[in-house]
Amino acid sequence: MTGLNDVSHRHDAEVEALSGGPVAKGAPILELRGLHKRYGTVEALRPASITFLSGEIHAIVGENGAGKSTLIKLLTGVIRRTSGDIVWCGQPVPLSDPNEAISRGINAVHQEVVLCPHLTVAANMFLGDEMNRRGLMRKRAMTDAAQAVLNDLGFNLPAGALLSDLTIGQQQLVATARAAMRGTQFLIFDEPTAYLTRQESAQLFRLIRRLQAQGVTIVYISHRMEEVFELADRVSVLRDGTHVGTRLIGETNDAELISMMINRSIEQIYHKETLPIGKPIVETRGLSGPGFQDISLTVRAGEIVGLYGLIGAGRSEFALGLYGREKVTAGEILFEGKTVDIRNERVAMDLGIALAPESRRDQGLCLNLPIGLNINLPVFDRLSSGLTINRKREIANADKQIGDLKIKTPTRRVLASAMSGGNQQKIVIGKWLSHGAKLFIFDEPTVGVDVGTKAEIYRLFSKLLEEGAGIILISSYLPEVYELADTLHVFRQGRLVASHAYRTASHEDVLTQAIGV
Amino acid sequence: MSVETTTEAAPVPKKGMNILFGLTLLGLLLFLWLLLGLSTNSFWTSNNISNLLRQGAMTAILAVGQTFVIITAGIDLSVGAVVGFSSVTIAWLLAHGVPLWPAIGITLLVGVFIGAFHAFGIVRMGLPAFIITLATLTSLRGIGLLITNGSTISITDESFANFSRADFLGVPSLFWMVIVVAIPALVFLHLSRWGRYLFAVGSNREAARLSGVNVERTIYLAYILSSTCAAFVGILLASRIGIGNATQAEGWELQAIASSVIGGTSLFGAVGSVHGPLLGAFILATINNGANLLNLNSFWQRIITGALIIIIVYFDQLRRRGSR
Repeated sequence: MTGLNDVSHRHDAEVEALSGGPVAKGAPILELRGLHKRYGTVEALRPASITFLSGEIHAIVGENGAGKSTLIKLLTGVIRRTSGDIVWCGQPVPLSDPNEAISRGINAVHQEVVLCPHLTVAANMFLGDEMNRRGLMRKRAMTDAAQAVLNDLGFNLPAGALLSDLTIGQQQLVATARAAMRGTQFLIFDEPTAYLTRQESAQLFRLIRRLQAQGVTIVYISHRMEEVFELADRVSVLRDGTHVGTRLIGETNDAELISMMINRSIEQIYHKETLPIGKPIVETRGLSGPGFQDISLTVRAGEIVGLYGLIGAGRSEFALGLYGREKVTAGEILFEGKTVDIRNERVAMDLGIALAPESRRDQGLCLNLPIGLNINLPVFDRLSSGLTINRKREIANADKQIGDLKIKTPTRRVLASAMSGGNQQKIVIGKWLSHGAKLFIFDEPTVGVDVGTKAEIYRLFSKLLEEGAGIILISSYLPEVYELADTLHVFRQGRLVASHAYRTASHEDVLTQAIGV
Repeated sequence: MSVETTTEAAPVPKKGMNILFGLTLLGLLLFLWLLLGLSTNSFWTSNNISNLLRQGAMTAILAVGQTFVIITAGIDLSVGAVVGFSSVTIAWLLAHGVPLWPAIGITLLVGVFIGAFHAFGIVRMGLPAFIITLATLTSLRGIGLLITNGSTISITDESFANFSRADFLGVPSLFWMVIVVAIPALVFLHLSRWGRYLFAVGSNREAARLSGVNVERTIYLAYILSSTCAAFVGILLASRIGIGNATQAEGWELQAIASSVIGGTSLFGAVGSVHGPLLGAFILATINNGANLLNLNSFWQRIITGALIIIIVYFDQLRRRGSR
């Protein structure tokens, strides 16, 4: 504990001055009274009254667009409320800008790490608040102090390492440590585990509990029910910008929470139809490449093949190899019984392979271009007659996908960056539906996607299978692959280590195989 | 997640705004013309307008080529040097008895080759566009000076030299060349799939690649178009000044980039048009022309140009942020 306190003590005076004295554990630390946010005519958050108790872990669940992000932005001073009061430690506060929130001890850790990748871990932890002596930075002292904090938190991370050398999960831990160091009393986590491995998640949970033990109030936002039940003391549900209710965790269950969120039962989410399995579409024999070795598997028409493993287990790399993005070094690919040489992405597409890649931001979408252009990108050659694109067909094709997939946008000309995670994923899927394929590879299709959209995506899988396609579903979220895959392959360190038919193995077995204890 | 609320806030569609911005630039251009017309007697003379169109024409063509490259999130610093080098190339070819049309064809091919070399450096050698085009910027000037032995090659072909002074339908032939370049450029960028690919590559290379776009070919295309436009301008310049000189067109790359940026092109890629850089080029030409007519110190021209770049790009970004 010493490390943490040493570094944060100089903030304490400041924080207390602003916060109007400490609040007893279990007493209200932050109260929202009729908090309301409207964008134009859109109600982003209808008047909500939620009380956060000092020292609790308070989970917030809700679909995309339910108002969770609005709430975070209001609490961290990024946007201003339309009406209502925020009461912090018994006093109404304006929370009109991010600095005010930080100086009062309110902080957020975001899903995507917003730190400087080219600086060291220590430099990032002290960013904007460096230790100085006569105008010069005390680099050594900062590194030592940062290391002390990291050790204290139980992170096995070198403070002198460059942030970019760490995994996303480790970077998330650094972001959390940074917030913890700054005398934070109220810490908001926005879907922190979306990109984390299990071990990293476990480490993060330990950290969260530790912060709680120190009296920090935690707000935890997640799509994952089991995390909510593992961590939270109380849970609040938002739906369509409305605060539906708050429950003690012991007095509710995931079925109730999900029905509060969406008015839909849990069985309806993992929508699976049993279909006759057809002929093999693709077969790999001993396929090896960068990050994967000796992978042999078959995907048949009407079948979902699930690839489960930890992040970095070689599943995405295998998909990229199969899709022609990475060089395959050994083994062969049979497509509909014939050996094929997939030299590049175009060859894969022409054969009938579609890939919805792992990262929408980095691989899936041209974010600063219109939705319509993104949807049409794989098919512009078909939409062209001669030299020019047929505008009518271009528009019709984009609008059809927007309509079919219910992408929530007024027009196809809106930029992809303006869409929520779920709608962005729909754009990626729309690209491949309009192109058409026999084998669809979905790599983490539901990361950062709300429950409602998830259910839509799973129903879409069934539709594709009915039409005779095969699907490879890559997911780090076990319930998803477990409930959906007809055949479940487990990857570990670039190898295929186990295969199971639908629901023949237990969750524990699959996990053990993936971790390789 | 973090942007979900903006979805419902219904961002303004982009296309209408682009047209609006184009109109604002056109308005600025007309405003400058009106202002100069009122404050000088010589601006609205046919002589001066012809002169203005000739001055702006060459930058305009360069800017259109440059815009293709900038849309892919690249940059082409070599265009000024390519102009100079091409003027030497065509002068040398003509001086060595090559007939006019083949000489023009060969010079354009040299442009194609230079652009392909840039793309090769970027795609195969992994060099940043800034570096490879900076390298050819200095090298091409050097090669040109070697060929001419540091002096100039004069062009004796009368018809070639007359071309740039001629008018067609009362409009300088050089300005017609802008139209000859702009119309295919417009079709290419806004109506063909290759134009869409330029935007996609500039927005997210990996996403474009995974969507089946041949990213490498697209980059080759962009740099070849830019260098070919520059070679074409080199031919026009040789015609105008009647010599081939490797040191000509010093700093034109910056003029071209400035025109493009004033015309709304984003240096981060994926934003740009054909009409934008054209307007940008003629706005710059008007400022130069007006400053001359007003007997303004030429140093002031440079200051005004710089200030204008800052103001226009600043407002363009405000507009973009507002429309998100």
